[in-house]
Amino acid sequence: MVNNAKMLIIAVIISTVIVAGCAGPSEEVQSENANPGNIKIGLVAPLSGGASDVGGDMKQAAILAVEEINAAGGVYVDEYQKKLPLELVEGDTKTSPAEGVTAVERLITRENVAVLVGGFSSGVTYADEVPAAGKVAYVITGASSSSVTRRTDIDTSCFYHYCSTTDDYSQPIIQFFVEELKPLVAPERDLKLALLYRDDPFGQGCYQSCVDYIEAEDLPVEIVAAEKFPAGESDFHTYLTKIADAKPDAVYSIDFVEGTSSMYIQGQRDVGLNTVYMAVECNEDPAFYELLGEWGDGHLLETKFAPYASDYLPMVGEYKEAYIARWGEMPGMMGADTYDGIYLVANAIERAGNLDRLRINDAIKQTDEEERLLLMDGGKITFDEHNEISPKIFVEQMSWDEESGELTPHIVWPEYVKEMDFVLPDNYEMGG
Amino acid sequence: MADITTLLQVLIWGLTAGCIYILMAVGLNMIFGVMKVVNFAHGEVMMIGAFASYWLWSLTNHNPYIVMFLSMLLVGGFGIIIERFGFRKVMGTGKLNEIFLSLGLIYILQSAAVKLWTDDVRKIESPYGSMTLDMGMLNITYDRLIAIAFTALILISLHLFLTKTDLGRALRATSQNHEAAMLMGVDVNRIYMLSFGIGAALAASAGTVNAILSPFTPYMGTIPGIMAFVVIIIGGLGSIPGAIVGGLLLGLVQNFTIFYFGGAWKEAVAFIMLIIVLIFKPTGLFGEGRH
Repeated sequence: MVNNAKMLIIAVIISTVIVAGCAGPSEEVQSENANPGNIKIGLVAPLSGGASDVGGDMKQAAILAVEEINAAGGVYVDEYQKKLPLELVEGDTKTSPAEGVTAVERLITRENVAVLVGGFSSGVTYADEVPAAGKVAYVITGASSSSVTRRTDIDTSCFYHYCSTTDDYSQPIIQFFVEELKPLVAPERDLKLALLYRDDPFGQGCYQSCVDYIEAEDLPVEIVAAEKFPAGESDFHTYLTKIADAKPDAVYSIDFVEGTSSMYIQGQRDVGLNTVYMAVECNEDPAFYELLGEWGDGHLLETKFAPYASDYLPMVGEYKEAYIARWGEMPGMMGADTYDGIYLVANAIERAGNLDRLRINDAIKQTDEEERLLLMDGGKITFDEHNEISPKIFVEQMSWDEESGELTPHIVWPEYVKEMDFVLPDNYEMGG
Repeated sequence: MADITTLLQVLIWGLTAGCIYILMAVGLNMIFGVMKVVNFAHGEVMMIGAFASYWLWSLTNHNPYIVMFLSMLLVGGFGIIIERFGFRKVMGTGKLNEIFLSLGLIYILQSAAVKLWTDDVRKIESPYGSMTLDMGMLNITYDRLIAIAFTALILISLHLFLTKTDLGRALRATSQNHEAAMLMGVDVNRIYMLSFGIGAALAASAGTVNAILSPFTPYMGTIPGIMAFVVIIIGGLGSIPGAIVGGLLLGLVQNFTIFYFGGAWKEAVAFIMLIIVLIFKPTGLFGEGRH
């Protein structure tokens, strides 16, 4: 029996090492093409694994953008004196850091892509950007931790954050709570906030930016519980029970679609934590509304892309129609970022005038163009000293329609885009 | 200091998590105890069970708890096929062959599930989804109570089967000494198929219970699969009582660890338990050192 147990443990270790070791680095090849028939763009996305629903949206949006650009003749490249079509080459990260590294290495060395677009999950992107460091421009459209562009251990001059960072959305969320929720539930005292976050760079970034912002601005918000959980967790009962014990006025949930929907449901249905829940923008996805159903009624979602409320920006409505016509379903937010990202690199290649990776990188750095699917400060897409954009963030409140059996979001904050006023969920019980 | 209601609530969450571990670990131990085969793809069999139930539930719109029994039959049959055309072929040719076969099955089953059902997040709607039993200090959802009651029912049925039927006795005899059982006229190959089928059916029930309680994808089986191995090593390889006690213990310890020390320790504490048990009782809590 002892031998069996030992053998079992040794076998687990050996097999793990063998499986992990299967992915080796690819051989280095020339990064330029003498006379290309097309321009290869590498799409880095979780096309399988735990975040494949988001990866599917990124892929569909990227294909849509490439098809539109190619239908218009492609991208003009001055060196060849002609328009070249774009070719999208997929790199599946399989929602795993190790697989992400392999995928990016393949895109750079074997597929010889001119530029990379995509990257979802800060933990995965933190690993998969290593082979691209200093070699090829990578327009990151899905990993929100600011550490992916501000890290100091590798050359980040080729990385561009074309999505909100964790700072971008934790700050407006806190602002929303102070401006809209506090007057309703805690006018005479500090607002009591609980955070439930993934134990990875994304979750830690969200948590830390909340803490820093509250402290820096001396805001009347007290963090009464901050629980972190391992990525991939699906059973949140004990975390939520502990949070309920702290009697918060609101819960800020930081995870992807599967986990966040579980938190909302398990919190209300099983634990009886009837507060108001706030999710982060990567949950702006049709699957989120479908999984939540009636349990989403009255609860919140931070976002920068709202396809259900597309009137705030004409291009959003056009994109939504085109996406539905092409794919037969509603678009999600990560796809919108990626769609914009493809246009951004196409324009940069045209400005660069050739397919030299460093010239394309310089052209991306100097981007100064009109906003497309994301509202930007000043209405323009530009990158700051950290290679980050400045998107405008808003908060949506979901409402459940018993007759149609659908959950739909409406913008409730800030004032200049809001469709309706924020109201407390029907089942809200005072915290404190 | 948390109040008693909160601690009781954590106890309930631990019990429910423990039930899923028990169903997984008892199934795994059925296979290991009888065949001495290590099936690393047990978590993926659990996932196939969840999808089989999801598929049957979507098609028929029947109560998922009824559908679960049909799913257990289907996946039990699937387990028999895996044993007959997979593990049977490599048994006795070396442990590494068995290990690589089961590792291969992980990828095959995951890829097949993605192909068949895509890797979108799914959930099975329970007709009792919003119903809770008010117990004064505590509210427990019907689905949790059903999960606990169902696990108890399965364990009692398994106990009766193993102790009161000829087939069950043959299965225990094969587990103790397959050569002696063969000499006594037991069709050992048939018993191997049966044990693998029962193990797969139990994994399917664990998958279905999990899928009713939480959303799931084709990758849902990875962590429970690993935890099932931890449970059987803690409880004792091949021991059914060990799997029950080990599963309950792991569910409770993990949930109280989350409560007192935070979620970062959830998986670590499982391996801390395993190391402690291996140091002080290397055969596991209920292991007899006979394998």
